[in-house]
Amino acid sequence: MSALGGGHAGGDGMNPVAAVVGLVLLILALGIIYVLSPGMAFMALIGVIIGGVMIGFGVHFVPVGGAPAAMGQSPGIATGVTMLAAGAGLAGLFGGAWAAELGFGVALAGGAIGGGLMMAITCLMVNVVYVYAMGIPAASGKVAKDPITGDTFEAYKSKGTEGHGLPFISYVGGVIGGMLGGLGGTLIYLELLAVYEAFLPAALNAQAEQIVPLAVGLAGIFAVGLFLINAVLAAYNITGTIEGPHDPKFKRFPRAVVGCAVASAVCGLFAIILVVI
Amino acid sequence: MEELLFGIGISAVAGALATVSGAAEDTESDIGSQGDPNSQVQLAPQMGYIHRIYSKAISGEPPAYGLWCAMGAGLAWALMAINYNPVLAIVLGSAIAVFVQGVYATTAYLGRTASLAKFEQPVYIDLIKSVTTVTMAHAFIAIFTCVAMCFLMVNALGHPFPLPLLGLVWGIALGAAGSATGNPFYGKERQYQSQAFGAGVPISASGNIVRYAEAGQRSSLDNGWFTSKMGGPASGVCFGLIVFLELWRTIFFEGFAAGWGAVIAGIVLILIFMIIDRYVEKWARKTYGPYTEEAAEEASA
Repeated sequence: MSALGGGHAGGDGMNPVAAVVGLVLLILALGIIYVLSPGMAFMALIGVIIGGVMIGFGVHFVPVGGAPAAMGQSPGIATGVTMLAAGAGLAGLFGGAWAAELGFGVALAGGAIGGGLMMAITCLMVNVVYVYAMGIPAASGKVAKDPITGDTFEAYKSKGTEGHGLPFISYVGGVIGGMLGGLGGTLIYLELLAVYEAFLPAALNAQAEQIVPLAVGLAGIFAVGLFLINAVLAAYNITGTIEGPHDPKFKRFPRAVVGCAVASAVCGLFAIILVVI
Repeated sequence: MEELLFGIGISAVAGALATVSGAAEDTESDIGSQGDPNSQVQLAPQMGYIHRIYSKAISGEPPAYGLWCAMGAGLAWALMAINYNPVLAIVLGSAIAVFVQGVYATTAYLGRTASLAKFEQPVYIDLIKSVTTVTMAHAFIAIFTCVAMCFLMVNALGHPFPLPLLGLVWGIALGAAGSATGNPFYGKERQYQSQAFGAGVPISASGNIVRYAEAGQRSSLDNGWFTSKMGGPASGVCFGLIVFLELWRTIFFEGFAAGWGAVIAGIVLILIFMIIDRYVEKWARKTYGPYTEEAAEEASA
């Protein structure tokens, strides 16, 4: 029971009523855009939903230990789930937006690599601080053995803690999470940019070249907003800390996928309807 | 060729600015106690440990820095739009953003500490006077360097995002890198300096933070000195590497294979960092060995 006397908050299951309400909202959002503009805008909304789902799924890979990790009491990176995922995903968005003129595929890959590179450097520096400044080797609290390297952890765990540091599986999870975040954020940006570049000249009665700065700014800020919405939703699903793909909490991701799809559809609807009407 | 050299030079300058920004960010957040370890600063009075540590963690570092850098960049952008000199515009924009940070820090300290009144934790007015201005000074360096870096990305490298949006994006990334790298050093090594080196803090010790210095009670101001020994520089290197390598791989390799060169360079860089990380992990296991309680007791003695 929660402190407010509500139902059970955690667990892996999906509330059937909430799932049906969510799916109705999703179909409604898609239906509205289909009626208003069945071609490009409809496809853009589908792209936004896929991007949002990628962000929500990617956040589950990021090893976040929160406050206990800062005291070496639990493994992971000592910051918030949303915070870190947003940092990596937005660094990816920076790279993806820069490569937008080189084509869809290059931009998406550039965004994914930008997010992955940010996480690769951050996770390395976290381990450097743990090892060289604090003298603490990595030890997972959730699994006895690293699924990739086969390292055992029990003997390295300090007494009275749930483990500490960043085992290799968490490092790889962080990089994958950053890549998915960067990919999703860039996909949302590119889809919205295409819609704004197509519809804004007619809406504002202006030349296509004149609206480019406005289209880029609008698509960028909506992409950042949608990124934060999906990252926060996934963080609520995780409830606190997660070690990465080997953590039992990782199995909760289907619930986040549904939640992020619905949230992205509704928010994407507003982002697109702004210029389509 | 000349354009390429110019781009790499700008990347190096942006990387250097990012390094300073990362180091200043972590130092600022440790002096003001804004990172995750602040949970212990908040917990201590509830366990009966009254202290004189500043407390302004009403927001995570990434959204806070996202706000301040976006504000600094936005103001600088507005001033440049009315023909202010870019350097002056960035200085003024950052300075005004720092005043917002000062208001945030003061209200956060008052609010967080006043909420502990029932545990007899006092609000120290002299702390507000001495620590707030020091966090503001460090925040100015972090915001100014971050906004200057964003200005270079827009004006010298031609990134399509407007300056305020870049300020938001890189401000959030700055806070994420700084908090991820710097928090363990501040939490374990500073707040729990009395605990055994080379081991995590036992959960049973939660709240028992170090509250006394060589003479008298510990002040948050000393956290700046402590952070500059490792947490700050490590955060600076982290953010500097992120910015420099992101720009460098794009500028240097984007011309190859219709843009895919930068992607391949990024994959190679990720693999290199992965190998270094595995080496560090193995080195720690081999050098420090398994956890032994006797060794931990000796170290604490």
